[in-house]
This record gives sequence, structure tokens and C-alpha cells, in this order.
Amino acid sequence: MFNLTNLVQKAQQFIEPALPIAGPAANDRRPSKATLFRYQFRLPDSQSPLQEITAELTLSPHHSQRAAAGDVTSPEKERGQGNHYVGKLHLSEQFLCFSTTGSSFLTTASLSSSSSFTGQTHGAGPAGNGFTLPLCAIRRVERLHSQSYMFALAITTWNGSPDPKGKNATPSGQKLTIQLAGSRQQCERFCDGLKRGLREGVKEVENLRTVVTFTYSEYLLTSDGDEKKGAGEEAKKGTEHPDTGLGLIYRYPGNARKLRDATKIRLWREYLKENGRSATLIRQPTFHKLIRVGLPNRLRGEIWELTSGSWFLRLQNPKLYTETLEKYSGRESLAIDEIEKDLNRSLPEYPGFQSEEGIGRLRRVLTAYSWTNESVGYCQAMNIVVAALLIYMSEPQAFFLLSVLCDRLLPGYYSMTMYGTLLDQKVFESLVEKTMPILWDHLVKYDVQLSVVSLPWFLSLYINSMPLIFAFRVLDVFFLEGPKVLFQIGLAILRINGEELLDATDDGTFISVLKSYFARLDESAHPKSENPKLRAVTRFQELMVVAFKEFAGITQNTISEQRSKHKGAVLANIESFTKRTSIRNLGPESKKLSVNDLGFLYDRFYTVLYERAERAEILQQEADRKAKAAKAKATEVVTGFSGNSVERGRVALGPSPTQMDYDAFREFLAGISKWAITDSPSSPPELNGSQSPHSYFGSSTKNRPSLSPWGSGLEPTDHEFMRRLFRRWDVDMADSLSLQNVVTGFAAVKGTKDIMSNISYFFELYDDDSDGRVDREGILRISEALLFLSRRGVTESGLSPSPSLTDVRSGSPERPNRDEQFLSSVSAFIRRCFEYADPDHPSNQGNQAVDEAQDGLDNFAIGEDDLIDFGSEPDTPTARRHSKNPLSPKPSDKDPLSPVTTNDSTDPIEKERKEKAKAANLALDPNKPLHITLPTFRMVILADEVLEHFFEVGFSSSFKLADAPLLSAASSSNLTTFSNAGKQVAAAASNMGGVVGGAGAGVVPPGKGLRGMLDNIVSDGMRVAAEVRRRYDEVQKDLDSEARHGRDDEDEEEEEKGAPDLLEGAETAGVDTSRGKVEELLGVPGAEAGGEIKTTRNRSASDASRRVLEFER
Amino acid sequence: MADSAPTQPKPSSSVKLVLLGEAAVGKSSLVMRFVNNDFQENKEPTIGAAFLTQKCNLPTRTIKFEIWDTAGQERFASLAPMYYRNAQAALVVYDITKPSSLTKAQHWVAELQRQASPGIVIALVGNKADLASAGGADSSDDADAAPAAEGETNEEEEGTDARRVATRTAKSYADEESLLFFETSAKTGQNVAEVFTAIANAIPETSLKGPRGVGGSTNLNRQEDARVNLAGTGMSMPDKGCAC
Ligand SMILES: Nc1nc2c(ncn2[C@@H]2O[C@H](COP(=O)(O)OP(=O)(O)OP(=O)(O)O)[C@@H](O)[C@H]2O)c(=O)[nH]1
Ligand SMILES: [Mg+2]
Repeated sequence: MFNLTNLVQKAQQFIEPALPIAGPAANDRRPSKATLFRYQFRLPDSQSPLQEITAELTLSPHHSQRAAAGDVTSPEKERGQGNHYVGKLHLSEQFLCFSTTGSSFLTTASLSSSSSFTGQTHGAGPAGNGFTLPLCAIRRVERLHSQSYMFALAITTWNGSPDPKGKNATPSGQKLTIQLAGSRQQCERFCDGLKRGLREGVKEVENLRTVVTFTYSEYLLTSDGDEKKGAGEEAKKGTEHPDTGLGLIYRYPGNARKLRDATKIRLWREYLKENGRSATLIRQPTFHKLIRVGLPNRLRGEIWELTSGSWFLRLQNPKLYTETLEKYSGRESLAIDEIEKDLNRSLPEYPGFQSEEGIGRLRRVLTAYSWTNESVGYCQAMNIVVAALLIYMSEPQAFFLLSVLCDRLLPGYYSMTMYGTLLDQKVFESLVEKTMPILWDHLVKYDVQLSVVSLPWFLSLYINSMPLIFAFRVLDVFFLEGPKVLFQIGLAILRINGEELLDATDDGTFISVLKSYFARLDESAHPKSENPKLRAVTRFQELMVVAFKEFAGITQNTISEQRSKHKGAVLANIESFTKRTSIRNLGPESKKLSVNDLGFLYDRFYTVLYERAERAEILQQEADRKAKAAKAKATEVVTGFSGNSVERGRVALGPSPTQMDYDAFREFLAGISKWAITDSPSSPPELNGSQSPHSYFGSSTKNRPSLSPWGSGLEPTDHEFMRRLFRRWDVDMADSLSLQNVVTGFAAVKGTKDIMSNISYFFELYDDDSDGRVDREGILRISEALLFLSRRGVTESGLSPSPSLTDVRSGSPERPNRDEQFLSSVSAFIRRCFEYADPDHPSNQGNQAVDEAQDGLDNFAIGEDDLIDFGSEPDTPTARRHSKNPLSPKPSDKDPLSPVTTNDSTDPIEKERKEKAKAANLALDPNKPLHITLPTFRMVILADEVLEHFFEVGFSSSFKLADAPLLSAASSSNLTTFSNAGKQVAAAASNMGGVVGGAGAGVVPPGKGLRGMLDNIVSDGMRVAAEVRRRYDEVQKDLDSEARHGRDDEDEEEEEKGAPDLLEGAETAGVDTSRGKVEELLGVPGAEAGGEIKTTRNRSASDASRRVLEFER
Repeated sequence: MADSAPTQPKPSSSVKLVLLGEAAVGKSSLVMRFVNNDFQENKEPTIGAAFLTQKCNLPTRTIKFEIWDTAGQERFASLAPMYYRNAQAALVVYDITKPSSLTKAQHWVAELQRQASPGIVIALVGNKADLASAGGADSSDDADAAPAAEGETNEEEEGTDARRVATRTAKSYADEESLLFFETSAKTGQNVAEVFTAIANAIPETSLKGPRGVGGSTNLNRQEDARVNLAGTGMSMPDKGCAC
């Protein structure tokens, strides 16, 4: 097909400047004109209204011997006999459409139509009189030389197969005259458009020929012509009987005589002869009447196709069905398994479905469809509907009709969550309440649940509720007039049985009343009537009359309105059900978390995925805007659902992403933990403005462009720790996390109150090869992570380590003090780790304990010495430094840690310390690789009261779940690095066209005033780590050069580097603390003595803190 | 089998019962067996739900079951609350030849325990027991599988038959959750009536209401009372006492 979309948009603007072009900006709830246009004429989604003009259609006398509709007053004399219809003529890319029914999408007032019959589709089907001509079916258009001001076109169509060589093509060529009513300019423009379309249409003629040749109408008229020629040459007919469904082989349901099938065929033959066949069919009042009385068996499939619009889909892509089957042949899927289960269980009472032939057809159609629409796949009830279609249609016909059903006529019915089904049940109930309040009250009073009864009516289109022949009559009208027919019939059923239903006081009786009604649909509705005519009226006829007369007020509009009204509640219901079930199925680990927390995680998890999908969608749309007309925009008005894919991620609407990649995980964490929020929100435009706004989606690049991919939420940071957490939680090695993974992950972190297991967990995070050892590199990374995690404070909630630190929230001076304390604890941590580390060579192990014991005492003398030099680069922005830091995540899957393990590694702080810590600790020898074990790690942590506290409560409470959600607390807490966030959010919001109102929308970024001292502390924390890293690298370099130039002792020089001790105050407190405890620890020989350490720990919490107080005093 | 012979003076009450379970485990077939004493190989899948009634005569009273047979396909699950609303009893069915169906059944049990009326009587039913005795023939090594269906724990190993869920596994789960437990065959009729009888017996007197329709509001009140009373009642019932 050709793509005229740019043109379309321009044209649209030109024609109807008032109507916004559907696009991200058009948040208008009103229907897009294009959508309504397509629905009215049942055109494929590729079509859009290019041109429209008021016109009068004149059907040449050849077309009708019937009297013209009388009340048209025309100034033109040439309109002698024939039918005249006033309406609107529309042009789309591939179709020329005409309808007398005031199109509901016109902003202008509709013209009164010339015919009394306007149908009841109200914009939801090919209503009124007119036609929907594929341009390729038009053979010739002539401009008539009209004497007057009128601008008239004579259109000749390919009536029947467009075979130029065919002898009988010419005489039956159908002629229409259309007079355009508009300014000369308008008419010219319309004709130009038409000309262009016709030229393009030539390409489609081949498709048309393929499709049309095998229609029954073609066959009917061709054989008819032969008969008329009287040659009796029926056997010689060029065309063989087209495939009109299984009925051809296994008989059509019902008694053909009783159905008066022959009469119907005769009437249709007459109608088709005058009004064109398949592609060129013109709708006149008789058309609607003929459908209401029931279609003849062999023509049924074709008319269903034409009225539902699936014919046009097939025309566009005649080979799609066979191609799909070929493409997927041999493949397996869940849908196929489900289909297989039901094949033998579909209309088993029809002989065709007890045969391989019928079952084979059913299998192929269902399978092909499941491949073309994998989000629907297969839903029970589709087997019944398709089985019914196959009685009257060929496989490809049924295939395309099924897709029209799923996409347009029964939106969301068969989806994964069946939200469409549930929604329409709600709609139906509310219509019953409105139209039959007494019955409704009765149902409520006796607690009879209506939808339980009516659900199968809608889901399988009455096919397994009524006897087949009647269900098909309903379908005849349904395909023409749209979904509202299902409602009208349903309401009529209740109305007719109202009296009896009012006697029913339980579901059982209620259902049996209806069952017996359905069983007697063919009986007389008025068996006792004197009037034989009245007696002849069957109950089914009565049903049709009630449905379409009494409930004529139920229009497509009614349905759409009701759908939008109930949509929210229905979706919310499904979502809470889904949530409940999926939380319950999270497995035993999840029991460690409270139900509230699980609910919170569930919401947060899917919100992140949903919002990300939404943002990606919007950005995508933005990008596509120029290239693609936003077509499906407001399908909503007709279907009651938003066709707008922005809602796609919503759980209740069907399959949505369920896996979280690393970026999503970061975003997820940012909503839960303060430390996961970035310190340096995306740089302002001047830095990276030139970058493509999409480059960062999917992978985390260092430089972030101005447009935030994080929506209105808080921008996450990226830290090695987060990556480790992600990898640890990703137990399936899928490089993404499911909700299950996340919950299990949290269960491990938060589900236990045991400090020991928290410590082990942390240790394991860094024990990459799970050998129970963490090497130098790992120790550094751990300390860095500790600083990272604590850079916004750790003891926010829960107990403070000591009374002196309680008053943190008020921003009292204690706060910096505490942060400093943490810093010093971390430096003490590094120091101790190296002190107590084991050498990698087992031979040294023996000395270790002794050495430790000795060194331990000395350590405290050096504890106050400055560990790290901050002096060198005080002004470098943290983030910048951080990003240069080799610790930042590397994209490679290979573990970045493993290479740096053994011989060539060294201790960055070793040199500084060496002089003073003359303890000659083996661990400090750069040539002796070392590691710490879990017991050592534990000991070191427990040796420090601040760290101990961190592992006891701080770490796990740094994840805020349901009990204290971060987002609500965020505005009042100390997110100190948010100066840019305001801009950020605003920029993001404007980019999103205001659509996204994410969970973080309520966060008010604190003003600049909050920066300052606190900020410095935070960055200092990072600098400690960065500095450690820098030192480490330098030493590494030195070692390298040493290796080159031979060994040279340069320790003395290093010493000079000592700089002012920034941490002096903190260090004091920290060391005091440690001393208090390490003294205890020293009594324990051997760091591995886990049991002993535990003892210590038990006392330590209280003892140590008391001790701290004492020391401080 | 349940008979509909009217026994005049016995009090009669109706019980709403819902069947839940994975697709094609044989829910509809069980109902068909219970209601019509009939079995069809090609049973149409249930769309939405089907409704049937059947009486069950106990020595002291008559229970009229209002049976809601639901659709098993996964996506129909979100419709289920509509059907189990106010149900007093539930048959959660799995297929003893399909382990996944037991998992699904466990999900249903959890759903019911949380969302359905408190005090709902739940029976866990392993259907297609006829397939367990090795292809319907006479393999004897599993002969005790059938008695096991009487409700007693059984230690049989997985034999060469189609059985994939050990009776023991399901039984111990049922005990844990205080569910009635049976293995049945809709095909042979084995244990089908027993399930319904056991349920009828397990419904506490207090929760029984008269035939519906006496008066909506009174009904509701009584139901509320029943719920309160039921809350504390242990649900582990002896699986005996077929008097249907
Ligand atoms: N061998 C054997 N087959 C059974 C038994 N019960 C049911 N089946 C077969 O299992 C298939 C499914 O049975 P249904 O009763 O329709 O299953 P269902 O659970 O109602 O299925 P849905 O309505 O789709 O949820 C049918 O082909 C039955 O013949 C049984 O006890 N033994
Ligand atoms: Mg069933």
C-alpha cells in the first residue's frame, strides 16, 4: 500500500483546520475524525478521510425500476427517473464512499437525506444509502458537461470481475452519476484528489480480480446471465462454485425451505443485478431490509464480509492468510496447545465439526489468527465463533472476519484479561437498570447475577445460547450495524421474558426461564391470536422487532458512553484481582515481607515498567510524528477504549512487560531508596544539548542529554553497588528482573532482622567467585559502597546509635557530625580490613593470628593519622570524578573485579601507613595478595558501632517500602542534591506533553538553601572513595614503573603527601569507639572465631554505645 | 447417586457450590456425572460459566446444590470472583495426570481462602483417577491407588501409569489447608457422589438457609450470621458418609 500520510495530515488540516490532528498533543477525548470515518464505512486502518463534499447520487434508471424516493427537490432537469440520494461523498486513499446518513463525525450539520431509511448504525457501520467503492473498482470517471452550475461526474465501475477481455463485462458495467455541490474550487480539489487516487488504484486491480472472481455474487450473476441466454450451458460455466463454507459440504443448518432460502436468493439476485456485486455494491433501502429478514445461506458469508469490512482487509492483502500459515508452519505455541484442546469441542452438534475437514479448517483459521495477533492468541469462545463462521465462509474469509471481530467489533473481549467482556457486562447491566428498572430491582433484591447469564451471549455472539439459525440472523444484523446489536437483542430477551423473570427468585430459575425461551424461538409469539398474520409471527421475529424498535434508542453512542463510564472501575477491578493473585503466587520467600510491602513492591514494579513503556511510546511517537499519521488515536470514541497505545502497559488491558532491565531497576530503586537517586541530575542542555534524546534509552551512557528519560520521577544514579544488587537478584541470569526476583531480593534484604545475615548478604554481594573471600579490590569496593549508601544519611528511621544522634531530622548540627562519623567508620573499616586480612598463601596463615594480636594494639595509635589526602583535588566535581572512576559500571558482562586479584595488586594506603604502622603486617605487603573472609568481615563490622548499626537497621531500612514510602517522605527529607531537579521535572513534563503524572510528581525539590554543608559532606564521602581509588591507581602505576626501572624505595616521599586532616573531629570519635570495642575483640584469638564474635556482638550494641557515651563525656 | 425422590418432611436448603480448576481437568464432566450420571468424551469447553442444580439427600435434610461450573482457561480467571461470590462450597479440581493443574488448584484455594465467603467449604479433587490404574487395564501394583481415593493417605509410588500427582502429595496439602480431599473419575463415576455428599455434610447447619426466595433481606441476614459462626469452625472433616 502506499503511504500518503504526510499528505493526509496536510490535507486534513486544510479541510478541517478546527479538528486537531490526532497526535500526542491531542489529548482531546473527542473522536478523531479519521477513526469515525473508518468505522462508518468499515474501512481498514490505513484509510483516512482526505476529501469530502456534499453530493447527490443519481442511480441511472438501469439501476432501478422502483419508484424514486419522492421528496427530493432538485433543480436539475436531467434527473428524470432513478433514485436520488443526497449525502456526503468521501475520498480516502483507496476508497470513494458515499452515505446519506449524516455522518456522526461531521462537524457541520448533516444534510437531511433523501431517503426515509437511514439505518441504525449511527456511524458504526455502513449505514444509510450509498456505497463504499474501492478506487480500483472504478473503471472510468467522466466529467459531465452540465449546462448549469452543477459539477457532475459519471462513474463507471468494473461490475464484477474486472476482466477487460471478458465479453459480458462491458454491458453490465454499472453507471453512477454524482453531482458535487460546492464551490468550483472545492469540486476541482475533490476531483484532483480522485484522479490521484484512481491512478494509484490501478495497482490494486490485480488484487481485486483475485478476490472478486471467487465471490458468490459473481457466480450467482454469471450463471444467471447464462441462464438468460437460454443456452442451457450451465455445465460450461467458466466459474466454478466458490467456497461458501462447510455448509456446502455438510448442509447449512436449518431447513432451507422453511428459511425460504430460494426466495431470498432470488431477491438478492435481483438486487445485485441492479446494484452491483461485492466491490461495487450500492446500498439502497432494500439492502437493509434484505439483511433484516435473514441472509440466504450461500450469500451469507460474502455479505458478512462486506458489511463488517473484512472484505476490504482481504482485498488489501489477499494472500495474508496462506502466507501466515506457511510462515509459521510447524511452530508451536501456548495458543496452539489451547486450540488443540478445544478443536473437538466446537459446535460438536454440527456434522462438519465431527469431520477432519471441518476440524482442519477450524484449526488453521484459529492458528493463523493466533500468530497474527499474539497478544490475543486464543481464547475459548473463539472456537465457537469461528466454527460458526466457517459454516458460511471460506478459511481466508473467516480469518479476516475474525480479526475485524477482535479488533473492532468485540474490542478486548478475547484479550488476556478479557476486560472487554467484563466491561460490556457492566454496560449491559447498566442498560438493564436504565431501561427496565423494575426487573433490575428484582435482580438486585434476589441477588441474581445478570452477567453470569448474559456473558456467554456476548462472548460467543449468542451462538451457543440460541439455536444456530437464529444466532445467525442476529449475526447478519450485527455485522452490518455493529456491537450495539448484541445489547439490543439482550435487552429485548429480558423485556420479552420480563414477567416470568420477575417470578424467578434464584439464579437457577432465572436461567431456566431463558433456556426454555431460547428453545422455543421458532414457535408462534401469539399462538392464541385470532389474527392468522399475528399467529404467524414467530418468537424470534418478535425478538427482532422488540430489539430494533423498542430499543432503537440504544445506539453505538450509548454504548461508547457507557463504556467510558465504567471502564475505570472495571480495569481497576481486574488490576486488583491480578495483583492479588500474582502477589499470592510469589512463592515462600515472599512471606518474609508484609502483605503491604508486597503490594507496594508490586505497584512500584509495574508503575516503573508502565511509565517507562509509556515514555518510550511517547518518545517514539514524537519521533514518528512526521513519518506516520497517528492513526489509531481515538478509536476510543467508537469502541469506548482508547486505541491510543499510551495505555498499552496497563495490566488490565492485557499482556504488558513483566521484566525489568537494569535501567528500569535503577528507576525502581530511586523510588525506594534515597541513595539510588542521582547526585547530579542530567546535565543542563548546554552540556550535552546536541545529543540525540534517545541515545540513552536502554543503556546507561555517562553523559546524559537534557531530555530526561526518567519522566517526572527522581532520576536514579548509577553505582556499582546497584549493579551488583541487580546481578545478585537476577537469579535466572536473564539480565532482567521479574517481580518474583525483586520480591525475593527484598525478602533477603529486608525480610530478616538478623544483623548477621545482613552482613553475610553484603559480603556475598562482593564475593564474586563465592569462595568465601573478598580481596583487596573487593574491600575497596565495599567501602565505597558503604559511603555510597550512606551519603544521604543512614539512620533516618529506626534507632539512632546513640542518644546524642537522635535529633537528626530537624537538621540540627548533629547531622554533619553523624555523617562524619560514618566517614571515619568507613576509613577505619578499610584500615582494619587490611590489618586483619589473610594472605592468600596458606603458609602464612600460622603467623597471622599472632601478627594480628600484636598489630592490633598498635593500630589505635595510628588510627588518628590521616588516612586519606583530600588536599589534592578539592574542587573536582564529585560526579565527574566518579564517572572517571574505574569502579563505575563497565558494560562488559565479565566481572570487572576478577582480574585484580593476586600478585600485582597492592594496597593504596599501605605506603602512608607503613611508616607509622611499623607493625610489619604481612597483609600490607603489596606483594602478598590478601583477602578477608566472612568472619573477618563480620568482626570488622562489629568492631565499629556505626557500621554495626548500619547493618543492623540502616541498610535494610534504607529501602523504604509500604511502611514508610520514600516518595512521600522525600520532600521533607534531606535530598541535598536536587538543585537541578526542578528543571529536570519541568523539562521532562513538557517533553511528555503533560501526559505523565508519575508517582514522583509530588516531590518538591528543596531549594538551594539546603545545599551547603550537608552537600559537602556527601561529596566528601564520595571523595574518600575516589581518593582511595586514586591512590590505588597511583600505586599501581608506581609498581608498574618499578617493575620497569627496578625497585626503588620511595616510601619517604610518599610520606610528605600528608595533608590537613579533614576528618579530625570525626576521627576522634570514631577511634574512641573502635578502641572500646576492639579491645574486647582482641581478647579473641583468631579472627575466624565466629562464635566468639557473636558473643561480642550481643553485648556490643548496648555496651559499646554506653561506652561511646562515656568516652565522649 | 443423588436421587430426587421427595422425602416430605425433611428440611431442604440450597447450597451454592462453585467449581474451579485448570482447563480440561474435568470440572464439567464431574458435574455432568453428578447431575445426569452421564459422561461425554467431547465436552464443549465452558464459556464463562454453566449453572446446574442437583439435590442431595442426607439422613436429616435435603441439600439442593446450585452448581456453578466455571471456565478453566487462564484468562477467564478474572471472571471467577463473579461466580464464587457468596459460594458456600467449592470444588477445586485438578487432573492427577497433570502436576501443573495441582499448582493451579493451590492458587485457587488460596484465592478462595482470602476472597470468598469466610467458612466456605473447600474440597480438593483429583480427577481422572481412572487413568491412574495403568491405562484402565488390570495392573495391580497400583491397585491400592483406588482405595486411596476413599480419602485415606496412601503411599503408592509413581507407577507406570499416567498418574503424575501422588495421592500423598495432594492429601498432605489438603490436610495442611483443612480441605476435604478426594480422587475421582468422572468417567467411571468413582467417588463423584461421595465428594458432593461429604460437602453436604460439611456445610454447618448454621449456614444453611431455606430454599431461596423466601425473602431477600432475611436471607442476607441469616447468611451474615452464618459467616460469623463459621469463622471459628475447623474445616477438617471426615470424608465419609455417602447417603445420597
Ligand atoms: N479419562 C478421563 N477423562 C476425563 C475425566 N473427566 C473429564 N475427562 C475428559 O477431559 C476433557 C475435559 O473435560 P471437561 O469436563 O470439559 O473439563 P473442564 O474442566 O470442564 O474444562 P473447561 O470447561 O475448559 O474448563 C474431556 O475430554 C473429558 O472427556 C475422567 O475422569 N477421566
Ligand atoms: Mg467445563
